[in-house]
Amino acid sequence: MLRAMLRDLRAHKGRIAMTLIAITLGVAFVVTTWVISDSAAETLRGRDIRGDVAVTVRTVGGGPELTPAERDRLARIPGVASASGVAFGYAGLVGQDGKLTSARPTLAGTGWDSSDRFALVAGRTPAPGEVALHERQAREAGRETGDRTQILLSDGRSVDAVVAGLFTYRPFAETPPSVAFGDPGVLGDRFTRVELVARPGADIDAIAAAARDLVDPALRTVATGADLAAQAQARADDSAQSSRESLLGFAAVALLAGMFVIANTFSMLVTQRTRQLALLRAIGATRRQVRNAVLVEAGVLGWIASTLGVALGIGLGLLGLATTGSDDTNITLSVSPTSILVGYATGVPVTMIAAYASARRAAGVAPVAALRTDGSFAPRSLVARSILGGVAVAAGVVAIVSTLRNDLSTTERIVAMGGGIAVWLGVLFLAPVLANAVLRPVGRVMSRRGGPATRLGVRNSVRDSRRTAATTSALMVGLALVCAFATLGSSITSMLSSSIQATVPAEATVVESPVDNVALGTDVLDKARSVPGVTNASADRYMFVKVTHNGSTSQTTMSAIEPGGVIRPEVVAGTGDVRRGAVVGENQAAMIGARLGDEVTLVLDPTTSVTTTIVGLHKGMEGRPLFYVDLAVMPAKLKATTVTSVYATGPDAAAVRAGIEAAFLDRPDVVVTDRDGVIKEATEGFQLLLSLMYALFGAAIIIAAFGVVNTLALSVMERTREIGVLRAVGASRPLIRRAIRVESVVICAYGGLLGILVGIGFGAVMNHAMMGQSLWEFSVPYEIIGAALIGMVVVGVLAALWPARRASRTDILAAIGTT
Amino acid sequence: MCRGGDCGTVVSVQTSTTPAVHATQLSKVYGSGSSSDVKVIALDDVTVDFPRERFTAIMGPSGSGKSTLLHCLAGLDKPTSGQVYVGGTETSSLSDARLTALRRDRVGFVFQAFNLLPTLTAWENIVLPLDLAGRRPDQAFADRIIDGIGLRHRLGHKPSQLSGGQQQRVACARALITKPEVVFADEPTGALDSKSSADVLGFLRRSVDELGQTVVMVTHEPTAAAYADRVLFFADGRVVGELTEPTADRVLDRMKDLEKVDA
Ligand SMILES: Nc1ncnc2c1ncn2[C@@H]1O[C@H](COP(=O)(O)OP(=O)(O)OP(=O)(O)O)[C@@H](O)[C@H]1O
Ligand SMILES: [Mg+2]
Repeated sequence: MLRAMLRDLRAHKGRIAMTLIAITLGVAFVVTTWVISDSAAETLRGRDIRGDVAVTVRTVGGGPELTPAERDRLARIPGVASASGVAFGYAGLVGQDGKLTSARPTLAGTGWDSSDRFALVAGRTPAPGEVALHERQAREAGRETGDRTQILLSDGRSVDAVVAGLFTYRPFAETPPSVAFGDPGVLGDRFTRVELVARPGADIDAIAAAARDLVDPALRTVATGADLAAQAQARADDSAQSSRESLLGFAAVALLAGMFVIANTFSMLVTQRTRQLALLRAIGATRRQVRNAVLVEAGVLGWIASTLGVALGIGLGLLGLATTGSDDTNITLSVSPTSILVGYATGVPVTMIAAYASARRAAGVAPVAALRTDGSFAPRSLVARSILGGVAVAAGVVAIVSTLRNDLSTTERIVAMGGGIAVWLGVLFLAPVLANAVLRPVGRVMSRRGGPATRLGVRNSVRDSRRTAATTSALMVGLALVCAFATLGSSITSMLSSSIQATVPAEATVVESPVDNVALGTDVLDKARSVPGVTNASADRYMFVKVTHNGSTSQTTMSAIEPGGVIRPEVVAGTGDVRRGAVVGENQAAMIGARLGDEVTLVLDPTTSVTTTIVGLHKGMEGRPLFYVDLAVMPAKLKATTVTSVYATGPDAAAVRAGIEAAFLDRPDVVVTDRDGVIKEATEGFQLLLSLMYALFGAAIIIAAFGVVNTLALSVMERTREIGVLRAVGASRPLIRRAIRVESVVICAYGGLLGILVGIGFGAVMNHAMMGQSLWEFSVPYEIIGAALIGMVVVGVLAALWPARRASRTDILAAIGTT
Repeated sequence: MCRGGDCGTVVSVQTSTTPAVHATQLSKVYGSGSSSDVKVIALDDVTVDFPRERFTAIMGPSGSGKSTLLHCLAGLDKPTSGQVYVGGTETSSLSDARLTALRRDRVGFVFQAFNLLPTLTAWENIVLPLDLAGRRPDQAFADRIIDGIGLRHRLGHKPSQLSGGQQQRVACARALITKPEVVFADEPTGALDSKSSADVLGFLRRSVDELGQTVVMVTHEPTAAAYADRVLFFADGRVVGELTEPTADRVLDRMKDLEKVDA
């Protein structure tokens, strides 16, 4: 029995090759993800451990720094061989273009020491007056050993230093610094932490205990090197895990697309073997035997394809690491047994699950089917499936409609998202019925207009709406995801731009730091004000803070602005006058459950907070300040140091711009731009993220294309006799090819259009639920949709190439001979 | 390249005296050339004429080469040697595109079963060859044919909604719709009961009498052969006998005679 089935499988190599490809690609994607994240974790693990430090004493965030006297006291603890003070301070590395590199300069400088923090990769130890650079920043700045480079220090001073060497860095918890000064005095004589090295054989816990006794626990944290190493390791694992999780999301999409393809292929393979299965049943095979035989067949296929997929995935992963990982020296390549197991654990069950419905159907073949001439299943009813789909769509629509307001709480947002997902699933279930409802009338119109090839192609595409739907499902899911994120992206981009347009006047000249969200020097605002022709210069002070309302605290952003300045929040309720209190983004207010008149506390840092009343709601969004407060309520120490952007206007905008540009001509820490520049910068990073997503979802679309090829090829085999008759009554080869091409394009267009529509809809829901915007306020990503439309026709034409060739080469006599 | 089915129509010289189909020294050998295959001579130097407006039946034992002959005559298969003339056009030298056009415009074919495309309605199946050629049906002529098969009320139905006999009548109508030089039918009633057979055969007979068609039909049944004007007997790839004005009894007698010779 089983032998008969497996032999049959071997006899149909051509038919299963496509299934294998679909599973292989899906598995390969998962394994690639795993290998890359494993290697990333392993690389961090191998590099980050420092064994040289016994105990560290560091400042608690925002507290006073350690003094040399404290260091010396710590050095006298019994068992301590040496104590060194480690300082981090402002250091802005200036690149060849005269502007700061992208690394945050705030704590980017440190003093060189001989500890294991540094590993020289080029050059030598910096002498006083020289620096060593982190090799990554050196590359960005375009500097090599022996070059001279300018480095900005805090309060506007700068030094010109020779680059003595390049290093890589082993951090405990800090961001790796860009610049290590040969002269530690450059950063002053205060330390961020003191590292104690123990004498051989000394009791480290005793040293730690002694250190704890010496310092004020409110201001200092004492930790052993072993603890810190473990924490660093845990962080490395965490970050590897989170990147793995986000990549696995994409792999799951690819697998889902693969599942549709596999399920469809199995269903067709089973249909084509109805007679054989019926014969088996007629001679006494039980239902269970037939079902298990099909499942075993799926298992075998899954196993083979998983093996191929694991091999391909490891190859792709290592290749990807070798090519993209080039900016980090010596990446540890790691292929863990888990990654291989995961490949099999996805490939085999996914194939078997996909094949299960077909297996059940195969088991249900009536023995009399062996005697029927047409040898096909009675079409299965779509009623149950359609009802399920209808219910899902209806429930989803209800969920979305009931959460149409803009000021949604977190729960309501989840309900709205759930609604979007329900509609999506519902449409997947309804796809066959929709195919009937849409393609038949369209087919009728096209048939009337087009030639015989069109007519035949269109007819064949609606012949089995279940199959058409299954074929297009993968394409639909892939394109829907791309279009959903494109819609979300384009909506966010356009809202960000319109939000910036509404708050910043077009003619304002903007002064910013070249580094994202980094405060400007304390002199910049005054300097801008004193430029001739500037009548109004005011600033944004964009900060990441915490907000407390009704006892619960959450992350948010704020900006302190001058009342009557250039910046005007786009007010939708209450007042925009920050002198009276805080003006808050309306969806932010909804998120924390605050209304006009409520009191909120903004926590700027552990020692500074501002309590104020909400007096107005504005139309802002994430990525722009959510709380606007009066500059007057800011503590004096933060007023000057938190300026992130300066906006200057005057009667002659061109003169203002020219004046400001001249004033900041040789300032590496300042760039002069305008509103469009601000918009461009705000949206750029986002676009990059989106393109990456498109590339990852592309895998699903490739698998979907294989699915279309697969279905067409199998359909052509099924219809051999029909094609023979067509050829016999005078259809030319090109006509047969064209008919198959039309069929393919119709199928792809159906899946594609459905995907695009669902995608735009889902994108709008995401925009509504995640960004708190009105459901209707989405913007349509025309370019992506255009590309998707062209893409689906191209996929249709390409997918038809091979099956159409096969069909047109049908040997008429052999075809007529088959029954 | 020949696109859209509008390949040049095959030029032919037609006079009332040329037969509709004429084959000279036709041979078909299977398994020649390749390795250890035993050669099968399906057609052995056959020369035969099928006059216009006549109904010819071909009979003979299984494996005698009847289907092979029909396929070669209809341009579905290429003979190993010899020539076939359909209405004066020599077909064995034609390109695939021209052969396709010939089948579409000048030859009709009815197979034993599975003649129709399942996605097309009866009417669409009937006019398929015209459709492929990009021509419109001549409505008056189509009406005559449809009345002939008696299926006017079923034209909108798909083949799966028709009985086997009805499907065969639709197939016959399709074969006739292009007013071809000749209609070939390979055991068109082989899968039908006697009533349905009579319907199909009656229709073919009338197409000869009333529309002036030429029909060549392979059959195993003496009653079916009795509908023809002439019966050719086939054995071992050759014509071994002929009978004009056949009746079922005379055909049966002749078959018995031939078997005796064989034995
Ligand atoms: N493709 C082929 N390869 C090899 N031999 C073939 C092939 N097709 C037919 N034959 C052989 O040619 C001979 C004639 O076959 P054909 O189909 O013409 O017989 P037939 O008279 O139509 O028989 P039946 O009454 O059973 O339909 C047979 O011996 C057959 O085995
Ligand atoms: Mg035959």
